[in-house]
Amino acid sequence: MSLPALMLFCAFFVYPLIRGVGMSLTDWDGMGEATFVGLSNFERFFQDARAMGDIRTTLIFAAGSAILLNLVGLFYALLMEKPFHGRSAARVMIYLPAIISPLIMGYIWYFLLQPGRGFLYHAMEQLGSSFQLGNWMNDYPTTMTVLILVNVWQYAGMTMIIYLAGLQGISSDLREAAMIDGATSWQRFTRVTLPLLMPAIRINVVTNIIGSLSVFDVIMSLTEGGPGYATESLSIYIMRMCYGSRTGYSTAVAMILFLIILVPVLLSMRLTRTKD
Amino acid sequence: MKENKGFKLARILVLALICLMCAIPFYVLLVLSLNAPSRVFYEGNLFVPTFAWGNYADAWAKSRIGTAMVNSAVITFGTLGLTILLGGMAGYAIARRNNAFNRAVFSLLIGCMMIPGIINTVPLYTLMRGLGAINTLWGMVLVCSTLCMPSAVFIYTTFVRALPRELDEAAEVDGCTGFKAFWKIIFPVLKPATASFVILNGFGVWNNYAQAVFFLQSREKQNIPQALSVFFQQFGGAKWHLMSATAVIAIIPVVVIFLVFQRQFIEGLTEGAVKG
Repeated sequence: MSLPALMLFCAFFVYPLIRGVGMSLTDWDGMGEATFVGLSNFERFFQDARAMGDIRTTLIFAAGSAILLNLVGLFYALLMEKPFHGRSAARVMIYLPAIISPLIMGYIWYFLLQPGRGFLYHAMEQLGSSFQLGNWMNDYPTTMTVLILVNVWQYAGMTMIIYLAGLQGISSDLREAAMIDGATSWQRFTRVTLPLLMPAIRINVVTNIIGSLSVFDVIMSLTEGGPGYATESLSIYIMRMCYGSRTGYSTAVAMILFLIILVPVLLSMRLTRTKD
Repeated sequence: MKENKGFKLARILVLALICLMCAIPFYVLLVLSLNAPSRVFYEGNLFVPTFAWGNYADAWAKSRIGTAMVNSAVITFGTLGLTILLGGMAGYAIARRNNAFNRAVFSLLIGCMMIPGIINTVPLYTLMRGLGAINTLWGMVLVCSTLCMPSAVFIYTTFVRALPRELDEAAEVDGCTGFKAFWKIIFPVLKPATASFVILNGFGVWNNYAQAVFFLQSREKQNIPQALSVFFQQFGGAKWHLMSATAVIAIIPVVVIFLVFQRQFIEGLTEGAVKG
């Protein structure tokens, strides 16, 4: 009875994946005849300044997002751990952004932050504050920071929920025992809580690495990869190359992205492995 | 462990601030969607809109968001239905018949969980074109079902493993075997697994953009994110009142569903996280 699922999966996932390997070795334009060109698509990729910039953008976005999402999510979870009046309402509010399409979320932040025109600009002006974000869309490190922060803002609730689940699974006896033994709260956190939280850390790190290395939506709506190609991610590059009738080349880029995702995922799975 | 009063107050204040931070973009979106097109930002209180309710009718008429919502609903229900049926059957088979074939299917699906859709989208596009599945809702359903399949099989396998074998035996005594046993006896008790699967994947399918950009280009077949990005580009980023009104209409269904089912939702996420 596992056959129908396997057939669908092979037809629409495994088969295209294998075909992609073959396609990446050709100069196919999506329509006419394909000629075998060996590894020249890969050579071209590593000689292309735009492509190298896209790798850098993708890696910076992913590193920034994955690290911040985990730190912020864990911080939120620690704040939420002990019950208080209105806890479930707070949980719902913090999780809410994560269910919205990241594309729409990007547009909302665009309305808020657009230089000289956005809501924040006018609000700051009206409140008589001198704080201005400036023309962040034309300033490379700032655009990148805004993209990462918007992504962290949107998905911190998701990592928080996983960490909360992890924290609730740790028996309070253990932490109390550590306290009786004279451990400081920092020691209790690093020696008891953190190691027992490993399964939650593992889920969060792995899903965030996969999600942020294949980032597409939020960049499309917030900066469209600009200024120039400064914030273009590899996923967007793949789409644009495919639309530019460079089908063979775009599948080669997809293979490279595959490796870029696989290495840190396997590495982090190894690092967060628990004994059982 | 007793918590210090002052510490608790500080904790709740910080959480209130975090919640505010999560709510502000939604509030600003509402304000923008209710501002008259002629409103100048320099006059009056920025945080109170001019209540131009007509924006919504205008946005609805101009944006084709209605069609897009129907399309998104068809794609989401189609995908969830197909994946629950095929993934449930596969999960049941894998959990109950521990043979080499089923083990291989399981490993293949779980291994591919790490590969985001963008990796094989370009070769998949060629396949879809060959099948005449571009710009069709059924084509998009097959693509999304494939992407959700590993998650479904994983969840159902885990849940079925926890079910007592006596259930299968009882089904056999009643003369039910194979698919009939699954559908009549096992599937109804798998409701929590189904809920968990829908929670983890439903919004993602509804919000899908990275695949829709390739497979749903025609105006009649576009889904919500696709419709919004087309609408946004059409105005070149101007007419924020219409854009925001459309965005509000687009996010109402997910926000309502999330708020109505928030308890089950958070519980399902927590459970999924612990099991995963």
